[in-house]
Amino acid sequence: MDLHQLRERIAQIESEVAASLTKAGSGDAVRGLDNRVLGKEGSLSALITSIKEYPPDQRGQVGKLVNEAKARVKASFEARLAELRAADAQAEASAAGAFDATLPGVAAPMGAVHPVTAVQWEVERLFERLGFTLEAGPEMESEYNNFEALNIPASHPARDMQDTFWLTNGMVLRTHTSPVQHRSMKKFGPPLRVIAPGRCFRYETIDASHENTFHQIEGLLIDRDIGLPHLIALAKMLLTEVMQREVELRVRPGYFPFVEPGLEIDMNCRICGGKGCPTCKNSGWVEVLPAGMVHPNVLRAGSIDPDEWSGFAFGLGLTRLAMMKYGIRDIRVLNSGDLRATVSPVRLGGPIVWEKSA
Amino acid sequence: MLISLNWLRDYLDLPPQLDPRALAERFTRVTAEVDGVHPIEVQARGLIAARVARLSPIDARTNSVTLDVGGGKTVETVSIAADLHPGTQVVFAPIGSHVAALGDIRTAKVAGRTSSGLILPGEALGIEKAFQEAIFLGSEFKPGDLLPADLFDDVIIEVDNKSITHRPDLWGHYGVAREVAAIVRTALKPFPVVPVAELGKNGQSQIPIDIADASACHRYSGLLLEGVPTQPAPLWMQLRLGHVGQRPISGLVDLTNYIMLDLGQPMHAFDAAKVDRIEVDWAKEGEKFATLDGVTRTLASNELMIKCRGKSVALAGVMGGLETEVTESTTSLLLESANFDPATVRRTAKKLGLRSEASARFEKSLDPAHTVLGIQRFIHLARSMYPRLKITSRLSDAYPSPHRPVTVAVKTRHVARALGRPMGADEARRLLQPLGYEVTEDAASWTVHVPSFRATGDCSIEDDIIEELARCSGYDAIAAAMPHVTVRHFPPNPTHRLEHGALQYFTTAHPFCEVFDYIWYDSNWLRQLGIEPGECLELINLAAEGMHRLRKSLMPGMFSALAKNRFHFPSVALVEVGSVFKHRRPDDQEFRHLGLILADHRKRTEDALLQRLKDAITGWTCQQFGCSAVFAEIKPDPGRLWEHPQRTAGVVIQGIDSGRMSVVDVALRRRIDEHLGSWSVAWAELRLSALEELVRRPEPLASLPPHPLVEMDFSILVPKTTRFAELAGHLRELQTPLLRQVRYITSYEGESIGRDRRSLTFRFVLGHEERTLGDSDIASFQDLVVSFVRGRGYELRTG
Repeated sequence: MDLHQLRERIAQIESEVAASLTKAGSGDAVRGLDNRVLGKEGSLSALITSIKEYPPDQRGQVGKLVNEAKARVKASFEARLAELRAADAQAEASAAGAFDATLPGVAAPMGAVHPVTAVQWEVERLFERLGFTLEAGPEMESEYNNFEALNIPASHPARDMQDTFWLTNGMVLRTHTSPVQHRSMKKFGPPLRVIAPGRCFRYETIDASHENTFHQIEGLLIDRDIGLPHLIALAKMLLTEVMQREVELRVRPGYFPFVEPGLEIDMNCRICGGKGCPTCKNSGWVEVLPAGMVHPNVLRAGSIDPDEWSGFAFGLGLTRLAMMKYGIRDIRVLNSGDLRATVSPVRLGGPIVWEKSA
Repeated sequence: MLISLNWLRDYLDLPPQLDPRALAERFTRVTAEVDGVHPIEVQARGLIAARVARLSPIDARTNSVTLDVGGGKTVETVSIAADLHPGTQVVFAPIGSHVAALGDIRTAKVAGRTSSGLILPGEALGIEKAFQEAIFLGSEFKPGDLLPADLFDDVIIEVDNKSITHRPDLWGHYGVAREVAAIVRTALKPFPVVPVAELGKNGQSQIPIDIADASACHRYSGLLLEGVPTQPAPLWMQLRLGHVGQRPISGLVDLTNYIMLDLGQPMHAFDAAKVDRIEVDWAKEGEKFATLDGVTRTLASNELMIKCRGKSVALAGVMGGLETEVTESTTSLLLESANFDPATVRRTAKKLGLRSEASARFEKSLDPAHTVLGIQRFIHLARSMYPRLKITSRLSDAYPSPHRPVTVAVKTRHVARALGRPMGADEARRLLQPLGYEVTEDAASWTVHVPSFRATGDCSIEDDIIEELARCSGYDAIAAAMPHVTVRHFPPNPTHRLEHGALQYFTTAHPFCEVFDYIWYDSNWLRQLGIEPGECLELINLAAEGMHRLRKSLMPGMFSALAKNRFHFPSVALVEVGSVFKHRRPDDQEFRHLGLILADHRKRTEDALLQRLKDAITGWTCQQFGCSAVFAEIKPDPGRLWEHPQRTAGVVIQGIDSGRMSVVDVALRRRIDEHLGSWSVAWAELRLSALEELVRRPEPLASLPPHPLVEMDFSILVPKTTRFAELAGHLRELQTPLLRQVRYITSYEGESIGRDRRSLTFRFVLGHEERTLGDSDIASFQDLVVSFVRGRGYELRTG
């Protein structure tokens, strides 16, 4: 091949490349072509391998011709690639009008804890942040732990107040979480900060606002110089956090044999705003937190010296609190297993598009 | 306890325009919970006393009544009141008078007769429980007398009985008045009584009183009276009783009831012709006794009786006897005012189902000082009612072991600790004196003398005094403050950690919804399911018929939740954490269990559901214990119908037998709910209590290999009768220096590999510490696997 033929050959390759390039509709096609023309054994690259067939004085010329051609072809590839990228971008851009930013997400099927558990965990977390330890006690309790250790002797009228489920083995179903007070005192000794959630049982008739099976959470703090101001401060913080609103408290005497002084701590009713409604029995206040300073007999039963140590305890009605928080009107749904009443509708199915307001 | 504001006004001066609701709110905050405030607004105008002159019956119930309305005039009216007799006086609403309940009284036609005015029923006068068609009047009014309108109106404050179980003093109006006087800071007036010295004269005889057991009867006081006629109590007394829910009955009964509601001291009257001495003693076992209500009861030897000459005449503190009841022919009364042991009265009243106003008070531990005070009060009131009243004995008063005055030492340091501020003796005195306490002070403590009416159990220790100080100075006045506490390390509670972790995991990583069920089986439900639970721990008193057995498994209850939800959802995933009970002598045991149910409306997806349960459980054990669960072949328990004969597995966690899982067969599904016949249901029940001591294994992380690892997957075809565990056991024998790890990937069943076979896929990880593996390493390992698999009679799946 002389120089003339070389020039023709280069022109031919270039025109073939140009033709193929217009047909190449994708980056891969362009890169394939690139490989066939400029690759190790590509058609243009092959021309340079025959450089030795030319007289030495022409070899510079040959190299120049081939390299210039390679540069031109390379540039045409780049140009075509740029064109294709631009076309891709344009194709994507053209779909923009069809994109619906407002189409909702649909959550994967999800579970849920019971509303009482949800409130229980909230209260637990809150008290854990304050350095309380979580304790548990059995639902089947000894008469001693449920009553005697809590300053409720056998003849005490309070045993009627908390009508009890008795078992054939002489044990009882605990009527409150307060036995955990005694258990914790025995287990840890003072100083003590304990929170103990659990199920309790009272022998009474079930209706929309009474259950024989319900949840409480017991709180107990024993240290030096503990008094009523501390109990009231914690009660306020507890109810404010759980209800996620500024609550008003009404503190009044309440009678429980295991505390002295004994208190009932009420919070202002949010359902009627204090005007009076069935939920608050027309008083504007809802009874949520029976509490008090731990009775010295209870401390003594727990081997704690009441002269040195003092403390407070409370038995928060978790079931009542969950009802207030989630607007549950009928207590019976809580033990019914009916998920429609105990799981948020948000979790049951796709996003709610419209709903009749309550 | 219903409190009449009119009654309270006898004992303290309250402003006439007092807002009863505001008072009730303050009472709630300082003393005891008020359940309601009920105004009684009769708006009486022109009511008069009228005397029955003539009666002529219209029919069995109705009389035409001619009434003497004074001034020689008579009117005709129609009444259905029973016990009308010529000469009885009644409350009458003549034409032109007015009461709120009936409006203006006009002439009316009743039973064909013209009725000019109305004999007023109790109901129209705010005595709701009376069901009396007439209010009878004593001789304090003459026919035609205008009845004072202000007697009829009142405000009733309803105090929650549960909030005063520890306050015997608040079971009478005088005690409540003392509390109110302290709240509104006004003086309490003295209790109007006759002096003890006037209870009988020297030379008169005494009723002999013999108390056999002083621990059951602390005090017994008695007095003989004559001249108590059977005429009605004064109108004011009847109205007050009526307003606080006590039906007016007769003068004598009303008077004893009035004192009970006034002072809190129950009293009883015997016909002195039949009871002339008192013996307080235990009943004979099996003794029969007819009580006032006409019922004959069989007694036990722990029932305390009032007896006369060995014969029972009353159930002490509970109810009098029929035989010694005061009747119209009674001329002489024996008045009883006693103090009984609360537990004894409570036991008898509860056992015989005779809870009365009297027994309710004795149960609260009454002040023994009130026995005599009650008699003093009785005489004071009776004298104004019955001019011919005569005391015919000296006061008898048996008080074998008088209560000692109670004094309490109070450390000022403890007062300051409880209230969050120091309190001076002057302030304490100012708060306590109105309630009857006396305070003397030392340097660091006070001596508080407790009044007798607070000393019967309610107030005996320092903390009781602190409560008085706290409530009377006002809980609202206490400035809330966070405590200063000792930081202390508590080891985490394993039960909580386990249950919280499990619930958290199954409700977020998987779509299980938590449910609660009762801890007792419902026998009807078990019967429907055909389940016979065997021996269970049982309740003595049941929530409802058939709910006496405590659950041994969560499953029957969870099936009930499933039945409730299957109609509303195409698939249901439930989780419950709760207690189950094992009846096992000598000690019954309680365990915590975790129950899981997966149900789907498509038939024959059991195996997939079971697999999902295994996946979920394994995810949980990885998270909670840092290890996978292992599933074992176990025999189903025939006593647990919900264990499928062919599809039941045991769950093993760190070598501990931790629970069972299975699918529910079609027969049981249908019994749970007919529609579940076409569903698939799988369940697992894990014994959380068995896992409490399990420690979370540390999970050391792998260091990066110095040379690349090679992963190779092999699917091994095995007969369906070959268990994974068996194959896995074989694979553990496959040891070559290059093999690092074998993992299970998946299993497959399908037509393409033959009906009787299963394909199990494993991933083998190979590597060498010092070099990169070459083709020959891989080829020789492949050969090893092939010959290994063939050597055990299996086959490798290809393609």
